[in-house]
Amino acid sequence: MRIEKCYFCSGPVYPGHGMMFVRNDCKVFRFCKSKCHKNFKKKRNPRKIRWTKSFRKASGKELTVDNSLEFEKRRNVPVKYQRELWNKTVEAMKKVEEIKQKRQARFIMNRLKKGKELEKEEAISEVKKNIHLIKAPHAGKAKKMEEKMVQKLQEDVEMGDD
Amino acid sequence: MGKSKSTGNHKSDKKKNIAKLWKTKRRTKDLDQIHEDMRAGNADKLLNQEVDYDVTGNAQHYCLHCARYFVDLKTLKEHFKTKVHKRRLKQLREEPYTQAEAERAAGMGSYIPPKAVEVHTQPVEEDMN
Repeated sequence: MRIEKCYFCSGPVYPGHGMMFVRNDCKVFRFCKSKCHKNFKKKRNPRKIRWTKSFRKASGKELTVDNSLEFEKRRNVPVKYQRELWNKTVEAMKKVEEIKQKRQARFIMNRLKKGKELEKEEAISEVKKNIHLIKAPHAGKAKKMEEKMVQKLQEDVEMGDD
Repeated sequence: MGKSKSTGNHKSDKKKNIAKLWKTKRRTKDLDQIHEDMRAGNADKLLNQEVDYDVTGNAQHYCLHCARYFVDLKTLKEHFKTKVHKRRLKQLREEPYTQAEAERAAGMGSYIPPKAVEVHTQPVEEDMN
């Protein structure tokens, strides 16, 4: 018994779940849920549907090329049970999974950094462009003129007093 | 990218009974099957079929890429100029999706981008006279 992968969304298909379609040329398609099967019937391309794994990989949303992805494989050779080997394999699987999770998370965080930078740039340029809304171009000038006038008047008054 | 860009959906008769078209009973050829058909040996067989009175146009005018029979050469040629045909050619220009690719996407191996395939409309024999 093995856990198959869905043809459409690449999710796991556990025994007794989902459905299998056998086309009239004997090709087998497995689907994890009716949503995937329906989309297949509509002849949609999984590479173009946003929620599938293949879309996410094809458009660089997720980690695509890494050594940690090379462990899980379809191996069609049965291995004789050995207790030691079994234990070691299980240990290794846990380690590999941990490393994989970490790398995938790091990849996504790095991908998101670029957006933040762009956001910052955008904000700065917007402020530069619309600075006149906060500070009118002739805002300081009128006040300065007023101050000057007041000074002059005072001077005149003083002169008059003398 | 994923969203449909088509507008004005009400005019086409084909779209009035969509649920029926999606039944596996009425399933038409998939893109990977057409890729298989496009191979030299298969293509020759499909383009030069024997006369079959049960098929549209006695199975003499077949569009390889759309997997459709036409009544005569004129309609076939007309079809080559349509949007449906051109759209199909564009879809065929990418390597077909496979179970192997689905498994690679699920974390069994690294991602391999699909290759581009060169696709042209089949040549039409000019023996009208």
